[in-house]
Amino acid sequence: MKHLSEEDLILLYYGEPGVSNSDARAHLAECEQCKEAAEALSRTLDLCSEWTAPEPRIGFERGAWARLEPEIAGKRSAWLFPRTWMAAAAAVILLVGAFLLGRGSRAPRPTSPSIMAGLSSQARARILQISLADHLDRAGRLLTEISNAGDTASLDFAAERDRAQDLVDEGRLMRQTLSREGASPTLTFLDEVERFLLEVANAPDSPSPSEVRELRQRIGATSLLFKVRIIESNLRTQGRKL
Amino acid sequence: MDCIPIAPGDEIAIEKARRGDPDAFRVLVDRHARAVFRLAFRMTGNEIDAEDMVQETFLKAWKQIGRFDGRATFGTWLHRICANCAIDHIRARKRKQDLQMVPRAVESAAGSDPVSRVPTGAPSPERLAASAQVTAILGSALDELSEMERTAFVLRHYEGLSVDEISAALGVQPGAAKHSIFRAVHKLRRVLEPAMNLR
Repeated sequence: MKHLSEEDLILLYYGEPGVSNSDARAHLAECEQCKEAAEALSRTLDLCSEWTAPEPRIGFERGAWARLEPEIAGKRSAWLFPRTWMAAAAAVILLVGAFLLGRGSRAPRPTSPSIMAGLSSQARARILQISLADHLDRAGRLLTEISNAGDTASLDFAAERDRAQDLVDEGRLMRQTLSREGASPTLTFLDEVERFLLEVANAPDSPSPSEVRELRQRIGATSLLFKVRIIESNLRTQGRKL
Repeated sequence: MDCIPIAPGDEIAIEKARRGDPDAFRVLVDRHARAVFRLAFRMTGNEIDAEDMVQETFLKAWKQIGRFDGRATFGTWLHRICANCAIDHIRARKRKQDLQMVPRAVESAAGSDPVSRVPTGAPSPERLAASAQVTAILGSALDELSEMERTAFVLRHYEGLSVDEISAALGVQPGAAKHSIFRAVHKLRRVLEPAMNLR
């Protein structure tokens, strides 16, 4: 067999079909010249592998989405979707209910949303804190269920998906309210929760054990459930103080 | 190798995104943006351009998601879009450089590539480190490749795509993809092998 060309050696290095691999390897074992050429090529290409791409900054995905969203969803008004209307109505009931509960009422009575207009800023802040805490409580319960889902069971995820989607819609309205006061750690945290909830809302009806495991690992890796519980507790404490 | 992983459960999000659900598309962005960034960085050589490539890739993916037929994984499909965006970007950058009549060696030292953006001046101990020098040379060497050579080499060497996959991604014959890799490796060796003695 004649000596191997640089092209042959490149194909061999990458394991591409080309020169017959068995013939080439047999030749390399016998021919010092080709063996040295192959080693030199490997050294250079191995060196290229040392060039690693940097990890994007923290929050890179959030930033990418923030730039994409206006172009993707720009002309589609969220208010056209019935689910958004339902979530809006739910949020109003939630806010009013939280307010009445906070005043010590035994049960929320039907109340006009106009009641909110006459509230002091302190009362509004209190309602928001309690509503947020309730939202995180519901999100926390969903996360707990996923965290405790077994590996082997065949899960019916349809209900979890719907709950996650409702929580996404509800969370968005709260973020809109919060964002009027500018950026805050709570706003950032709600975004983090929403990203996870979107994963659940887009999971298959019957996810495989590995898919459920991945969701569980994600909850664990980001300490999401722990953070949800702590922040919920802090919000309730702050709400009581107001 | 740094392949874009096959994310479990992409199918549901893809199906919803096809029906125009931006939330589902966000899930896909969250899952794949980092891998697309790494590819874009290797293609363009700097983080700012790479972020623009990520943006462009996902915008095109959103517009064309109806055409995604599922024969390749969603990650591989994004690879193709990103590689083609990067080729256009590198071409445009070269045209701009030609218009400005800036010699490539000077331009690369001026900072189009992050590894060549190591501050010049009094050499620091880090700068003197042989490995850093080799890395800087590698960055410049990649910048010397044509857009097709760089793309084919990056997809083969760093992303682990086969010649056939590269030819499909770039819409060229397998022979053309293979020869782009050969030329890229040949040029890289010419620049890098003298530098190997520095290590």
